[in-house]
Parts: sequence; C-alpha cells; structure tokens
Amino acid sequence: MKRFLTKTAALVLLLPLLTACPKQQAAQELRIYNWSDYMPEEVIQDFEKRENAKIVLDTYDDPEAMISKLQAGGDSEYDLVILSDYLVGQLARRGTILELDKSKIPNLKNLDPNFADPAYDPGSKHSVVYQWGTTGLAYREDLVKGPVNSWAVLFDPAKSVGSFLLLTEMREQVGAALRYLGASVNTTDPVLLERAKQILIEAKRRSQGFAGGTDAVQQVLSGNVAVAVAYSGDAFRAMEENPKVKYVIPREGGTLWTDALTVLSKSKNADLAYKFINYLLEPEVAAKVSNGIGYGTPVAAALPMIEARDNPVIYPSAEVRSKLEFLGDLGPAADLYNKVWAEVRAQ
Amino acid sequence: MRESASPWQTLQRLLVTVGPGAFWLLVFVLVPSVLILIASLMSRGNFGQLVLPLGLHNYVRFFTEPLFWEIVGRSLWIGFWATVLTVLLGYPLAFYIAGHRHKQVLLLLVIIPFFTNFLIRVYAWIVLLQREGVVNAVITAFGLPSANLFPSTFAVYLATVYTYLPFFVLPLYAAVERIEWNQLEAAYDLGASPVRGFWEAILPQTLPGLLAGFLLTFIPAVGTFVIADLLGGGKITLIGNLIQQQFGAAQNWAFGAAVSMILMSLVLLGLWLYARAQGEKGLDELV
Amino acid sequence: MKRLLAVYSWAILAFLYLPILVIVVLSFNKSRFGVSWTGFTLDWYARLFANERVLEYLANTLIVAVVSTAVSTVIGTLLAIGLVRYGFRLKRFLRYLLYVPVVVPDVVMGISLLLLFDTVRDTIGWPRLSLFTIILAHISFQVAYVTLVVRARLMLLDPALEEAARDLGATDWRTFLEVTLPLISPGVVSGALLAFSLSLDDFVVTFFTSGSGSTTLPLYIYGKVKTGITPDIHALSTLMVGATILILLLGLLFWRKGGTK
Repeated sequence: MKRFLTKTAALVLLLPLLTACPKQQAAQELRIYNWSDYMPEEVIQDFEKRENAKIVLDTYDDPEAMISKLQAGGDSEYDLVILSDYLVGQLARRGTILELDKSKIPNLKNLDPNFADPAYDPGSKHSVVYQWGTTGLAYREDLVKGPVNSWAVLFDPAKSVGSFLLLTEMREQVGAALRYLGASVNTTDPVLLERAKQILIEAKRRSQGFAGGTDAVQQVLSGNVAVAVAYSGDAFRAMEENPKVKYVIPREGGTLWTDALTVLSKSKNADLAYKFINYLLEPEVAAKVSNGIGYGTPVAAALPMIEARDNPVIYPSAEVRSKLEFLGDLGPAADLYNKVWAEVRAQ
Repeated sequence: MRESASPWQTLQRLLVTVGPGAFWLLVFVLVPSVLILIASLMSRGNFGQLVLPLGLHNYVRFFTEPLFWEIVGRSLWIGFWATVLTVLLGYPLAFYIAGHRHKQVLLLLVIIPFFTNFLIRVYAWIVLLQREGVVNAVITAFGLPSANLFPSTFAVYLATVYTYLPFFVLPLYAAVERIEWNQLEAAYDLGASPVRGFWEAILPQTLPGLLAGFLLTFIPAVGTFVIADLLGGGKITLIGNLIQQQFGAAQNWAFGAAVSMILMSLVLLGLWLYARAQGEKGLDELV
Repeated sequence: MKRLLAVYSWAILAFLYLPILVIVVLSFNKSRFGVSWTGFTLDWYARLFANERVLEYLANTLIVAVVSTAVSTVIGTLLAIGLVRYGFRLKRFLRYLLYVPVVVPDVVMGISLLLLFDTVRDTIGWPRLSLFTIILAHISFQVAYVTLVVRARLMLLDPALEEAARDLGATDWRTFLEVTLPLISPGVVSGALLAFSLSLDDFVVTFFTSGSGSTTLPLYIYGKVKTGITPDIHALSTLMVGATILILLLGLLFWRKGGTK
C-alpha cells in the first residue's frame, strides 16, 4: 500500500514532464502565424492533403503585438509568418527571417513584375508577396448622416457622420492622421507627428474605441458603428453580405499595402514552408485565396479566375492608386511612431 | 516513553513535506519576482527587449509623466467605486441568504456564476450593452432612443461589479452566518432603534468579513486588464492594461516590469495596512 | 423591511444570471447579428462540433487542468503538513511567499513567469512556451490555494491523534496514510476542486505563458471576442456553462453522500 502510494505520488509529480517532451514537430507539420481570417480553410486543407502534412495556424490582429510575440521567443515557434511589408526590413536586419532560397520556389516566376521586386524588399530576397490591398473607410450608408469621403469624419468633430472605430494597427492609423494633415505616411518630422498624436487622441475620445480589421468590419456589418477604418478585402466581403456596407478611400489618400510570406530563421521545417509558398504562387491556388478572402493577388495568371477583378474596391482605378502611398520601413525612426502610438493608446 | 525524532528523521520529514512546495515557490514565485525587479531596472533595446544599462529611468519616467499618475488614479478610482457598489449589492444579499430557509440552494445559485468561466461572463456584457445589443433592443421597444452604453466606463464598472460580486458574497456570508443575534436583542432591550442596533451590534461583527471581502474585490479590480480591455474598447487604460501593452504592442519590457513593481507595491501596501488593522490571523482568514 | 430585502436580493440574483441566460438564448438564434429573435436553430452548435480546432482547445484545457491539479494537490497537501506540524527556520518566509500568488494581480504573475521562461530559454534553449509552461504556471498559483485550504483543515486537527499513532509504533508514512489523510480529506478534495476550477478558468496567466499550438478555451474565446463575436461562441459558452453546472451538481451530490461537511 505504502509503496503503491509512493509510486503514484512520484508519478504524479513527474506528469508535467510528459507534456514537456518537446512534441517533436511532426516531420510534416507547418506552423503558420497569420493575420486573422486571412487564409481560406479550403486552401489550407488542399495543401494538407497534397503534402500529407498538418498545418497549425495561429492568428493575430495587431502587427505590433505580433512582433512583440516573435521577440518573446515566438520566433522559434513558427515556420512561416505572414506580415506587413513595412516590417520585412526590420526583421531581415534582425536576422529573424531567412534570406529565401529561390531554388526552392520555382513558381516565383508567376509573380506580377510589379510585385517581384518591391521597394521594401528588393529582389524579394526575404519575402514573397501574399496579398495586397488598401486601407480606407468602411461604412453603412444607411447609418451615416452625411457623405463619407474624407478622413475628416474621424478627425474633425464638425464633419462627423456617425459613431466610428479606429484601427489597432499603428502604422495605418497614424498614417491616416498624417494623410489628413497633408503629410506622407512615412514622415519623420516630429512636429507633424506631434500634431498627428493630438488629433488621434482627440478622435479616440469621440470614437467607439479601437478594433482590429476583422472586428471593425463585423461591427459595421452588425450596425454597432456607422464608420470604421478597415481593410479593403474585409470590407469587400462585408459588402457581399450586406449591400448597404460601402468602402471608400478618402480624398486625402491612403495606403496601398502588401502582406508578405516570410520564413523564420529558427524554423524547423523550412522546406515545407518553401513548398507552401510555392503552392500559393500557383495561379489556381492564388485565385482561390483571393476569391476566399477578398484581397488583391500578386499572381498575374490568377487574374482571369478572380471574381472581383473588375471591382474598384479591390482593384482600384489608376486615379485612386495615384493617391495611395506604400508604408515604408522607418528604420530607427520607428521609435518616433512607437512613442506617439503608446501615448495615444495609453491616454 | 516517546522518543523525540532524530535529526536525520526530522530532516527527512521536512524534505518530503516542505521540500517540493518550497522548491516550487522558490523557483516559480520568488525567482520570477526577482526577475521582474531586475528587469524593471534594465533598459529598452531597439526591439523592445531587455538590455543593460541598469538604472532607475523607468521609475523616473513613471513618476514624472502625468499620464501615468492619471492611469494609477483611474485604476484606484474605478477599483474603489466598483468595490463599494459590490459591497452595497452583496452585503444585503448575504444577510438574506443567511436568514433564508433554503440557504443552501441560494448559496448554490451564487456559486454557479462564480464557477462559470470569467471570459464568458465578461463578453456577455458586450452582447447586452452594444448598440445593437439586448439592452438597447428593450429600450427602443419603449420608443426611447438607443443609448451608447458600450464601450464606456459605465460598462467597465458594471462588468467589474458583476464579476466580483460572488467573490465578495461568499466570504461575507461566512461571517454573517456566525453572527450572534442575541447581541442585537440586547441592544433592543437597552432601547436602541433598529438602525442603531444594526450599527452597534451587527455591523462590528461582520466587519472582518466585510473588510476581507472588500480587499478581495478591490485588489483584483485594480489590477484587472481584461474587463477594461474588452468593455472599454481600448479607450480605458488601467494599470493592468498599461502593463499588458508594454509586453504587447508597445514593446517595452523594462518599463512594463517597472509598472508591475509599482502595482505590486500598491497591493502589498494595502495588505500591510489590512494586517495592521486585523492582525496576522486576519491575513490567514483572508484566504 | 424584510419584503424589501427579499425583492432586492432576488433582483441581484436575477442580475447575476441575466447575461448568462442571454448568451444561452442567443446561441439558438438564427440571426448572426443583432438580438432580435429570427428563429430557432442548432446550426451554431453544428458549426462548433465540426470545428476540429475547438475540440483540440478543449483537450488542451482539460489536459492542463487535470495535470496541474494533480501535481499541485500533492505538493500543496505535503506543504501544508510540513508547515503545520514542524517548525523550521524559513517557515515565516515561506508562509509569506505562499500569499504572493493569491494576492498578486494575474497580469504581474503572468509576466513574471514569462520572464522566467524566457530567461531560462535564453540560457539553456528550453522550454518553448507550450502546454508544459502553462501547466507549470498553473501549478504555481494552485499550490498556494491548496496549501492554504488544507492547512486550514489541518489546524483543526488535534495532533494528539497522530502522536498516538506514532506511540503505537506506526511509521511516518503509515500515520499519514491511515490517520492524517482521512481526516484532512475534505480539505484536500476542496483544495483540488478549487485548483481545478482555477485552472479551467484561467485566462491572464495562460495568455502570457502559452505558445503556438497550446491554445486553451479561454484564450480561444478571447481571440474570437476580439475579432467579432459570432453565435458559435455563444454555443460554446452555453456548453461550458452547462458543464460547470453539471460538475457542481455532481460534486454536491457526492458531498452529500460522502458524509461529513
């Protein structure tokens, strides 16, 4: 009896170690860290079947928080991370992401030349474009009290048309304030940033709070708010559900962003990651992705298969495109923005 | 004649009983606390991580920027009033249950929400209070304009009281059950009015339980971040949110550690004051 | 006056249940948004059960709860005995240390453990944030609660009983098994139940100590709330509430049958 209990007690104490046995990442397991609601289930399952692999997907809705997590040891937990273009430079410099072995991604040739050599990552050394889109205002035309065509609906109390949400993504939200002030979204002028900070704090007071892209659009769709800063694809899908939802890029201009596929240096399954990237560059798969989540594809051959190819929300006209900026890699100046944002969020 | 244990035996006993526990507490409670202390003195690297040099700059920053005083003030204010409201709701409830025929059933009714998942209970308020939520549905049915209840400070208060009410009622109930009602009768005999009777004969008896409940509610309410996060829409920043932000989007671990130290000091201060008032035994009863 | 108290109290009890009831009702509502009733449906439950990931999260949550409760109950009970029965130099210090997990705000506990795991990983390359680290974290606060509960029970015990056993020649082990343990078992069981529910419910500490592939139900719910509440979360919540009530009722029945309070 005594011996039995001693053994049981010892076993119980050793239990946690069983879970510690580093679950050897199944040789065919791919761990992806992606924006929330940003990859159709079908695309994932097809790859799993094809390669007899398992995909573990974690999501985020705030890129700064995502970076923080990678910082905190998350970089050894994932193989593939899909992140905003302006973060690629930073992570490449830190050595967090690999310089890509192009020989393993033959489908790179499918990329539209516009996306094959982006300014933020010349020669696509560290990243491959996944999707691209714009950030603007999503709104319910039946709930707003006036026209929605300017960032002023957020920043000018006199021009408000209804309740609104601000975006949790720092670069985009601060960028919106800067465009409203007539500045570039990549400015490093401290005076301009200070002004942006002030109008953001003021807008926050009048707002219904901050929301991530997916949440923001859900709130507009459900009628909880009239206006929200949102991403084109999310807005597009909401429009399909409720035609009263509209999307507009304010006249002061906005951003054209890309999200890129990157492979983490500490990845344990880089080859599988390369296979996945290659898979996503197949025209049929790229079309499935875009049709599923509503954003723009960088794969030229996929265009004929894309249902939304004539829709200006996803594929804006040249005129609108001329008002859009790319979010650039700020380098050390990123700290200026971090400070501004920390204060806006903490007030 | 009983022999006293040999030193070897005593050591053995200690190792077996206290050993594992002491080890665990030292490694997983003491060491992490020390780590926070050290981290709070470190500096922020380019990517938010902890680097040398050491210094008091994080604390200086905290105490010299009015924004942070605001946050502390707001946390204490909301924590205090939410706790007061909890007391006002919970105190009579405890009495009602104690005096009821089916007190076990009623107690169970209070315990069930207590064991229900915290997040469910909090997000439920979003569903109730949002613009297209239940409360507004009811209000507009009466022809009144819909109210902007979420996100708001009101929502945070409401959810905080709601979350901690069972925490408060249970220990208080224990105290109320033990009340000696004859003291009240004695007071009446001496000619006291009901109010006076309550004040002098009943309240003092429940005071330890009341204070314990107050503390058990106030401390978590001040340190919470989830409620303010989900119901404040990102607009209400309490100390807990500030800390969480430093380890999340704001990427400043050193500063986050410093704020944690400050929060911990506040908590320990509160406890110390309580221990002074109630004695060490009170501290045990608290748990 | 008594009438007023009764009305007041029932109002408060209703208040306690209102949000939960709303969620339960909405989990059967056809419409995805809004709260007007558009029809009864079990679709949301169907979607929930079809979602493999949710079942995985449920498994994670249970694994963590069971393992951590088992370990912390053993450690805590032993610690309680040591603290009550023996005197030793670091006793006071240990007792104060015991209070820390109980009073410290979750956020602080969470980040302190995150720092610990990170520092260890930087030094020896292990452990990754995973179910293992979550379990370690949970045990850390559970031990405190279990110890305090068992200790309270133990202090009510007359040491003479144990001494008598020892006078009769029983070894420490036997005394523990046949005398002490049965007498403190209600305390041990309550401690274990408390630890179990604390683990199931925990969000903040888990939030900071979890990694990829180690999502638990509370973390999942939080994530869903932040990306937009949809009724399948209501379905999940209803099931969780139902499970809680069931367990409580079972526990109560067991208690009643088991005997002494």
